Amino acid sequence: MSDEIMDRFRQVATHPLAYAQEWKARTGGLVIGSFPMNFPGELVHAAGALPMIIQESEEQITVGHGLLFPFYCGFTRSTVDQAAKGDLAVLDAIMFGDHCVQLLGAADAVRVALPDTRVIFFQLISSMCDPWTFGRARESFMELRGELEDFLGRSLDDAALHGSIAVFNRNRQLIRRIYDMRTAGLAPLSAKQMQYVVKSSMVMDKAEHTALLELLVAELEERVPTVSRALRVHLSGHFCQAPKPEILDMIEGCGAIVVGDDLYHGFRYISTDVDEAGDPMDALAKWYMARNTGVPCPTRVQNDVDWDGYLLDAMRKEKADGLIVLMAKFCEPHMYYYPEVKQAFEKNDVPHLLIETEHESMALEALKTRVETFFEIIKRRQAARPLELQAS
Amino acid sequence: MNVAASMPSAANKLKSTRMAGKLVNDYWEMVWRAKEEGKLVCWYEGSAINPFLEAADIVWVHGEAYSAMLAARHLEGPAQAAAEERGYMKELCSYARTHLGCAVTNQRTRNDTDTGVTGAPDDADIAARLPEPDMIISAYAYCSTGQQWDEMTSRLFGKKIPIFNVSIPWMWASKKDAGYLRGQEWDETSRYVARQLDDMVKFIEERTGKPYPWDRLRELMANVKRASELRLEAMDMCTAHPAPATFFDWVVSIAPINNLPAGPQIVDYFTAVRDEVADRVKNGVGGIGREKYRLFFDGIMNWNKVGWLAEKFARYDAAVVVGRYTHMAFWQEPDLIDARDPVLGMAQNFLICPNNHASPILIELIMDLCKKYEVDGMVIHASRTCRAFTNPQFLIADSASKRLGIQTTMFEGDVTDESFYKDELLNSRVEAMLEAIDQRRLVAA
Repeated sequence: MSDEIMDRFRQVATHPLAYAQEWKARTGGLVIGSFPMNFPGELVHAAGALPMIIQESEEQITVGHGLLFPFYCGFTRSTVDQAAKGDLAVLDAIMFGDHCVQLLGAADAVRVALPDTRVIFFQLISSMCDPWTFGRARESFMELRGELEDFLGRSLDDAALHGSIAVFNRNRQLIRRIYDMRTAGLAPLSAKQMQYVVKSSMVMDKAEHTALLELLVAELEERVPTVSRALRVHLSGHFCQAPKPEILDMIEGCGAIVVGDDLYHGFRYISTDVDEAGDPMDALAKWYMARNTGVPCPTRVQNDVDWDGYLLDAMRKEKADGLIVLMAKFCEPHMYYYPEVKQAFEKNDVPHLLIETEHESMALEALKTRVETFFEIIKRRQAARPLELQAS
Repeated sequence: MNVAASMPSAANKLKSTRMAGKLVNDYWEMVWRAKEEGKLVCWYEGSAINPFLEAADIVWVHGEAYSAMLAARHLEGPAQAAAEERGYMKELCSYARTHLGCAVTNQRTRNDTDTGVTGAPDDADIAARLPEPDMIISAYAYCSTGQQWDEMTSRLFGKKIPIFNVSIPWMWASKKDAGYLRGQEWDETSRYVARQLDDMVKFIEERTGKPYPWDRLRELMANVKRASELRLEAMDMCTAHPAPATFFDWVVSIAPINNLPAGPQIVDYFTAVRDEVADRVKNGVGGIGREKYRLFFDGIMNWNKVGWLAEKFARYDAAVVVGRYTHMAFWQEPDLIDARDPVLGMAQNFLICPNNHASPILIELIMDLCKKYEVDGMVIHASRTCRAFTNPQFLIADSASKRLGIQTTMFEGDVTDESFYKDELLNSRVEAMLEAIDQRRLVAA
């Protein structure tokens, strides 16, 4: 049963636009795409449409390079390429609010490439601890809601939004349960499989996805825990696009298990629930702020939380042996913050490795050599620790 | 075509712009003396909030301006090396990388952090002379990089420096009434930014411990408004054939309008510039030796190559008469400023930085400039690490070609990292574009 469920998740994760087509044909509904990172799909769900986070395609970028330069991150180039090739024609509209300069460039190019597709944008405040952050975030979501209502030609009522919030929360909670089980050795899911779980949630009808998750979680909870002697690794980075599955396989193939992550196609997506009580627009604004306090993202600025501190804490909680930073090439927010992470990990003597990933093909064997060496270094350092410390 | 240093210059630069050199030097000397004189220092990037700071007697350091100054003097190397040692990668905005390198150097000379391999700076290392900030204000339109850069600066200083963020949203312009300087989005966003500037003033008061001197701000903004009017008047005169000044003269004039002290000297400067331009128009004197082509320059400046590029285009008989960076920036709508109550007009000028309109409006503005200045071609600087400028460039090139029938060409370069500049690519592409213009003219004749 779990194999079938994982296979369904894999299919949707690897062919998201095909799922959207099939869903439209099946239901007659509208599909509204969004860009990462913080657009609340609950709004679209409450309107009766399918919210779908646009995914990086596996295809090489061709016509897209006539709209955006090659020195842009893989996600933005792929999105523009998909738009230019007509692959995003299945989307009835695109909505987003996130402020990343490359995303803004991609949005402008998508608007030109898809002149008949409404692209709705209202900029979310990215400075997270100002006195007006909450108010502006709420206003942004209200504007987005208003534009969505205008597009659909009908109002969205708060009761429906409450319902959607509950549906999304349940989905997030179940995925977090799987995360906890994986960290505790109770769910033998590979990093690639976990990505399928999360990525399919970004694409699928939430009720469909949740129904499969319920079955999967029930099955996993009946399993006997397995003890693994592999090195425990936390993966960090990739705020918009999914790391390529072959990289995840390669890392685990070198003798590690991924016990935690703060990838967007990972814990970052499901870290925080929306308050189900009270005004739903207040709740969404608070959710937006709480997401960053909970799992800090360098695409936001928030002086009173430290992503490097979060990572060190995560390593301790997960009992991880090492951190692998997956940095999407040309991702400026990550390039800005990485020296802080590097310095913090060196200061705390916690092993970490930086891997720069690309949309285009990567020299996996060269990366494998680096990962293997990294794991050897961790093991030697552990072996060299005094016996009483090794036991702790 | 290579430019031989021994040949006489083909670029006929405005003589009045030499004053800018002295004004710039005096300003940086003021910055370098700030700590000795007991002044508070504010680091900021992006929007020209400096009049707010100058009014409060705070010494202001515009990060981009410092990086540009280093690059223009070919002194950016040590700062960039320091940044790379710290872990900042080459694909990061080189303005930021250079400025962060100054911050890293500052930390090292104060022995506040682990030493790197660069070693102690000497007096000639201007990067090391940048005084550390007492406050940081981030007010960056469009580019997320700016806000992140300021946040990282704050963290480099151990989060001990108070920081204030002014969020300046991008004008997406999808509402039916959207347009340049009009519409609901424009009105609401202007007021949103203005409210934050009022809060920024309170932050400044907290730092100085004194009531904010609004009269002084009004006085400074009156000068900025007048200087801007004179600058625009002079720029408008470059619709003449031959154009009396080029884009590169306006680049040299950025500092006086953007980040130098806003005293009467900036009015004097632009009065001199306007008068010289008017005189050239009267006498038919051009900004280059022989004007055969008129070009639009899209993109930010390549600060390592200002003089180099000015000379290169002049030798091609190509007058670069207008550009997005100079003509769609730097207080370009002075009529919005009410000197008696300047905050809203300042907020609105910050909103119209050259990248902060989405393509529907941005491209219209550029097409209008191309028509106004009767350009034959467009040169596009694809700055490797400035994606704020490169974002719409393919769209701009497409519009220029399809709507106006003008030739376009692109060249790779960067804001302050010389390693990204490819001279031979520029040569061959510009030559090809000029040949294409010649062909069109032949056919039209």
